[in-house]
Amino acid sequence: MTEAPPRSTTGTAPRRLVGTSVPRKEDLALLTGTARFIDDIALPGMVHAKVLRSSLAHARVRSVDTEPARELPGVLDVLAGAELVGKVKPWGDLMQDLLVGDHFPFATDKVLYEGQELAAVVAETAYQALDGCEAVAVDLEPLPAVVDPEVALRPDSPLVQEGIVYEFGDGNIFDRYKVRIGDFEAAEREAAVVVRQRFATNKQAGAALDPHGCVASYDSFTGVLTLYSSTQSIYMVRDVLADVLQIPRTKVRVIVPEVGAGFGSKAQIFGHEVIASLFSMRLGRPVKLVLGRGEIFRVGTTRNAQVRYAELAMTADGDITGYRDYVVHNTGAMSVWGNQVVHIGTNVGMLPYPIPNIHVDSDIVHTTTAPGGPLRGFGIPQVIWAKEQLVDMAARELGLDPLAVRARNVVDPEEFPFRTPMGHIIDSTSIKQCLLASADAIGWTAKRAAPVPYEGLGLAVSMKYTSCRHPSLDTDLSAVRLRLETDGTVTIYSSDVSHGQSHATMLSQIVADGLGVGIEKISLAPPDSMTAPFGLGTYASRGAAVLGTACRLATERLRDKVLAIAAHVLEVGPEDLDAGNDRVYVKGLPDSGIHLEIIAATAAYRTHQLPPGFEPTLETVATYDTPTEREASNGSGNLSVTYSGAAHAAHVRVDPDTGQITVVDYAMVHDTGTVINPLIVEGQHQGGFLMGLGMALSEDYVYDEDGHQLNASFKDYLAVTAPDVPELTKIYEIPAPSTTIPGGQKGAGESGTGPVPAAIGNAVFNATGVRFTILPITPQRMLIALREKERRGVATIRYPDDMPDFTGPRTPEEWPRPTAADGGDFDFDFDWDAEEDTD
Amino acid sequence: MKPFTWLAPDTTAGAVAMLREHAPDARAIAGGQSLLLALKDRSARPTHLVSLSGIDELTGVRTADDGSLVVGAATTYAVLARASLAGWHGVLAEVAGDLADRPVRNRGTIGGALCTADPRYDMPAFAIGVGAGLRVSGASGDRAVAAEDFAEGAGVTALGPDEILTAVVLPPLAAWDTVAFEKFRHRVFDAAIVSVTCALRQGPDGTVAETRLAVGGATPVPVTAPVAAALLAEGASAAEVGTRAADEVLPGGTTGGEAVRYRHELIRSLVRRAVDRALSDVRTV
Repeated sequence: MTEAPPRSTTGTAPRRLVGTSVPRKEDLALLTGTARFIDDIALPGMVHAKVLRSSLAHARVRSVDTEPARELPGVLDVLAGAELVGKVKPWGDLMQDLLVGDHFPFATDKVLYEGQELAAVVAETAYQALDGCEAVAVDLEPLPAVVDPEVALRPDSPLVQEGIVYEFGDGNIFDRYKVRIGDFEAAEREAAVVVRQRFATNKQAGAALDPHGCVASYDSFTGVLTLYSSTQSIYMVRDVLADVLQIPRTKVRVIVPEVGAGFGSKAQIFGHEVIASLFSMRLGRPVKLVLGRGEIFRVGTTRNAQVRYAELAMTADGDITGYRDYVVHNTGAMSVWGNQVVHIGTNVGMLPYPIPNIHVDSDIVHTTTAPGGPLRGFGIPQVIWAKEQLVDMAARELGLDPLAVRARNVVDPEEFPFRTPMGHIIDSTSIKQCLLASADAIGWTAKRAAPVPYEGLGLAVSMKYTSCRHPSLDTDLSAVRLRLETDGTVTIYSSDVSHGQSHATMLSQIVADGLGVGIEKISLAPPDSMTAPFGLGTYASRGAAVLGTACRLATERLRDKVLAIAAHVLEVGPEDLDAGNDRVYVKGLPDSGIHLEIIAATAAYRTHQLPPGFEPTLETVATYDTPTEREASNGSGNLSVTYSGAAHAAHVRVDPDTGQITVVDYAMVHDTGTVINPLIVEGQHQGGFLMGLGMALSEDYVYDEDGHQLNASFKDYLAVTAPDVPELTKIYEIPAPSTTIPGGQKGAGESGTGPVPAAIGNAVFNATGVRFTILPITPQRMLIALREKERRGVATIRYPDDMPDFTGPRTPEEWPRPTAADGGDFDFDFDWDAEEDTD
Repeated sequence: MKPFTWLAPDTTAGAVAMLREHAPDARAIAGGQSLLLALKDRSARPTHLVSLSGIDELTGVRTADDGSLVVGAATTYAVLARASLAGWHGVLAEVAGDLADRPVRNRGTIGGALCTADPRYDMPAFAIGVGAGLRVSGASGDRAVAAEDFAEGAGVTALGPDEILTAVVLPPLAAWDTVAFEKFRHRVFDAAIVSVTCALRQGPDGTVAETRLAVGGATPVPVTAPVAAALLAEGASAAEVGTRAADEVLPGGTTGGEAVRYRHELIRSLVRRAVDRALSDVRTV
């Protein structure tokens, strides 16, 4: 044994890591290509499955004959819908606590959307499985497709879901939602101006680069089904899968490899996970089933497209006194999360204004399009797109500065916590400072005073929930288990899947500070339902705040145990001790004390040296459920534990020859509370902005009238790429630490998305006089709108729904008909053959 | 993808013989940047792939005795982009270096673009715009086809099943004083929504003697706009030429659907830009 180095009497105080840009622990594997994603998994004896999907969007299933596929070389098994009826339990949304069994591994009697599963084949190779799929004989009777959600509302519309009687719906309306706060009609009477507009939003893809997919491996000896899956939530997949298969949850194990993003599109169980599991159980062999990009576009969940008939009431001074909206919410043919999106999006989307009078009705409808679901922002970007443009429209009518109107209205209470009329409990916020800082950063005052032709500035503000107690899911918890290993290293167990959020780094920073252990000694175990404590998963921007709090609690418990052992050995009180530099020491002497390694080994291997009555080993677990509320019947409630502020300012330039919109400059000022790792949070904001930019300018599902998606590939789907992104040099934080969350954190993942379409929409209006009422604002739409404005000889125009003189509607029927179509006529509608016909 | 037999001949004649031998389901493959995608999703199912990339005579760029530029059909965009070409021939390198993305340019070929005959691709439109000729070899001998006669529809060409496009021949430098190429696309690697090629030759007195305009993207095959082009010699402005070209290429384009009107507008804008640039080029020479 070597002699200990000489000790200084003071030593070096341990450095706190929370709040610093610790390099991401995840990056080495990702950047060297050694990270293992779902398609990298190869198990001994593994075979390959492929799914035969419907090429029609809406059809009666006459027959599916799997026999010809069974004859082919390499084919091991074939499944289709009819034989599973009664053996496999349907799954679906929990709607107002009622289970809607609208999901099944395969279509049985009816196909509801293009790409729906009809049969599946498992074979020795993926190519043989594809051959098998081609051999399955399918007889479908086409039915008329329903692509437009407003057409789906009509009594004479073809019915999408026939087999389910909805408790709260009617026809294609499968659920309704309403908000009644205050008295909008009174606000309307007293307002100086009420602005009204019909706004439509787009159907955006998650477009995660890592495909949806899984490997199922059933052990016929233990009866345990292990599912490796690219998912955001292991327990949601485990619990639903066990229920679908009607086997105990102890017999289903879900493990997650590296996940290359999800954005909400992997926050549920999918048919392919059930199909691979069934095949593996039938064959007793591991089965890989990874979806291709075209399949992911068609069956992975999308942002819910909405039509909003929105109205905003404002007093002459610029006070926002009321908001009324009728929302047609399109969740596609079926949806696990779709109806939740309009609830939470609307509730939280009212922020950052404490609007006293709110009246919202929504019809949540099925169409024969791809399933809707959660996607970065969860309904909030759609609301902000409408509401923040209405704010600009009202300000303009009253001759007020949009910045001043916002500054006057954003929630800025004298005292916290502050409860808004909608029910949000604002525990802290700096949204007003964020707003002013964003305007300042873009040069608002000077540039608005000296307009440049075809350039413009726009603002938008939002507050995004941090965590969420969903109306259908009365829980908002995460958990962490920590183990101080016998060599002084630490393992973190969590079921909340990190898929870009850097949990390994962020949680290690919390543990490092609490336990005084070097961050290099801390590891995050891969999510595994056999070892991880129960948690809901990674969505709703809940990682840093909810999972982080669970981690903080578990760390405090572990620290208490460690200090108790050290106090016993050093014969001092635990209150005199501190932890740092990989040891526990008497306060003020950070280079002295006992190494954690010794304490950890003592707790496991020298239990006689432990304090009397001490329960050996060093392992703690903590679960944190947020103090959020359930949604009240009037739609109010504090559904989120705290709220992240986002104030964005856009500077755009429009090319009047091509319609191209360039974001010249963009400022984002956020309140993310106490930031654990600024590097990670900045990355989240950049990514959030990119997704908002795609929603604003280019991305949408384009369907033909038969419900075929025309752009189901990365070649045709206009996802944002690096050259489209402005230099994002103006990303600032004005932290207002949460007082509800012990560490002060707020959610980071989604606040970068919400304001982007509205900020750009407002900037485009400022640049061109065109108020877009539809997303995305493509160059085509921009140029055609400019020409229409010129043709009419007007200074401003709303496009495509131009109804500026309209006042006083209540029901959608009273709204004027749109003056131009908002469906179709996207670039992919261009048909060279049709042109040939007209020549 | 379905199984296929890979054949790698080293002469054009050998390739033609193989296509003939394995007809009707043999396909020629050069860079494969369109065909591989079709193979991957099984929309193309050839039994034999005849690779053209190992045939020396099909690759490279050389100047013929008459001054025309002979570009081997299997020459990749990347090679073209790096080539130092004199005068307006250099626009070929510029166009080749500013389409698709780097991996596609490394594999994709000029001949592949012409044979794929996608209405939005740059190379067919450019070839038509400069009045290029194409050389074709087949079992029944060699023949020449004008670029504008090659594409017969979206994805359809004049190439017979056992024929191979061997070269794209740009006319000698003297044919034009300048060539301007303009296009508009969504993202940097997307195919053009509309592209415009303007080739211009001055007379001895410095006036415009001949103009050729070609528009890609708006019609099933790129087309020329001779009426609009002729206006330039009569003293029309670039904007007037643009407006006329739009009506010529897309008659009724102001009253169609949004997608049609947009292309009509883009033709106006891009023709104007291309003509302006061509005129300023010749005036500064």
